[in-house]
Amino acid sequence: MSDALIVFERTRKAFGEHVVLEAVDLTIGRGDIAVVVGPSGSGKSTLLRCVNGLEPISGGDLRVDGISVRGPERDLRRIRLEAGMVFQQFHLFPHLTALQNVMFGLVRVRRRPKAEARERATSLLHKVGLGSRMGHYPSQLSGGQQQRVAIARSLALEPKIMLFDEPTSALDPELRQEVLKVMQAVAQTGMTMVVVTHEMGFAERVGSRLIFMEAGRIVHDGEPGRLLREPPSERFRDFLSHVR
Amino acid sequence: MSFDWASVVAALPSLLEGLQLTILIALTGLAGGVCLGILTGVALAHGGFLARNAAHAYVAVIRGTPIVVQVMFVYFALPMLLGLRLSATSAAIITIVFNSGAYNAEIVRGALQSVPRGLSEAALSMGLPFRSVLAYVVAPIAYRLALPAMGNQVVNVVKDTSIFLVIGVGELTRRGQEVMAETFRAVEIWTAVAALYLILITVLAYSLRLYERWARLP
Ligand SMILES: Nc1ncnc2c1ncn2[C@@H]1O[C@H](COP(=O)(O)OP(=O)(O)OP(=O)(O)O)[C@@H](O)[C@H]1O
Ligand SMILES: [Mg+2]
Repeated sequence: MSDALIVFERTRKAFGEHVVLEAVDLTIGRGDIAVVVGPSGSGKSTLLRCVNGLEPISGGDLRVDGISVRGPERDLRRIRLEAGMVFQQFHLFPHLTALQNVMFGLVRVRRRPKAEARERATSLLHKVGLGSRMGHYPSQLSGGQQQRVAIARSLALEPKIMLFDEPTSALDPELRQEVLKVMQAVAQTGMTMVVVTHEMGFAERVGSRLIFMEAGRIVHDGEPGRLLREPPSERFRDFLSHVR
Repeated sequence: MSFDWASVVAALPSLLEGLQLTILIALTGLAGGVCLGILTGVALAHGGFLARNAAHAYVAVIRGTPIVVQVMFVYFALPMLLGLRLSATSAAIITIVFNSGAYNAEIVRGALQSVPRGLSEAALSMGLPFRSVLAYVVAPIAYRLALPAMGNQVVNVVKDTSIFLVIGVGELTRRGQEVMAETFRAVEIWTAVAALYLILITVLAYSLRLYERWARLP
């Protein structure tokens, strides 16, 4: 099963008494574009954050490319190198320019020489359409531009997996498309992606799987076009009517 | 009564010597206090159980006692406890380092904790170890947040050095007192002493303001 990149095995997550993920079983394969949807508080962010160990799991197991998140700190760092994350609020480093943000991981984590890092970061920024904004600080960029820098920053480490937590939710509608386009381009490189989003258009166009979560459980998991055309449950139909 | 400029001029060499010592104590105190403040502040914000509680205790002791009592303790009690000799100037420097270190620690802790959590998470999620996250992401942002409060600390440290006259350190205020005892020109001498402090503090505060502006992020 070397093609299973992320394996949740009865994964449980609780904050104190409050159970947020209840015995989740889920396998994400290489090349999957899994789009995760669900009402607020259903545990979508937590699901993502457990994958790269930002939240420690409370029970069961979760393995990323064969490495368990329950392992020592060294294993967690290996997982994080393989699974990049993009946040709703971008979280670019405000004291670094766009170029330095993208170079950051190469220099500080991969320990590449500066010249090589600069070359690679430059080419990535061109790819996300920001070749002319490399010397700008995050505060001098629009939200959409910041998010594209953040995607380039993650891609710089050449991860096998990209995790997106509502990457367009903080953006004005007219800026969303530029980010979604970059994400689609990333998907076309064969990247394995888990995307939490309310963009049903993206799910249908780009997703290979659509996962519907509710109250810490996975309720539906299937082919996006089919799930969206024929919602298998009243709950899901109800949810769709709210986001569309 | 007229202002006697001649007595100011006569006192100046002595006062300037005092000012030199004031500057020496203040600058070493600031440098040491900043280092100690950073160490203690990091311990307060991110230390383990032991480091955190040790830091808490240290800050509580300094904040809960007057600086005069602190310097008396360092100058008179500490040598008896440890069986060593301390010059008055060394005692003053040790006191100001530990005193300002505690106040700086609170500033550093506050700055570290105001750096948005998401930034550390972004850095962590790139596989960076926590120490490096602190060094390369949190520290550069936190130190800018801390600069304005540090400016106040600089002013406080300079003023606090005048307290060391109680153990006979020949800093500016003490020199003023000595000259006063010989000449009885209270108005002239204390005006001159006040002016020298004002100039020193203004120069330091202004330089810091310039630095703050230079370091500010776009
Ligand atoms: N650090 C935390 N401490 C306590 N409870 C938390 C914490 N993080 C999340 N929760 C709780 O876990 C539940 C799931 O949160 P999560 O952020 O995963 O939901 P979500 O599906 O991403 O929601 P949204 O669509 O609003 O982002 C919520 O009830 C939330 O209050
Ligand atoms: Mg969320």
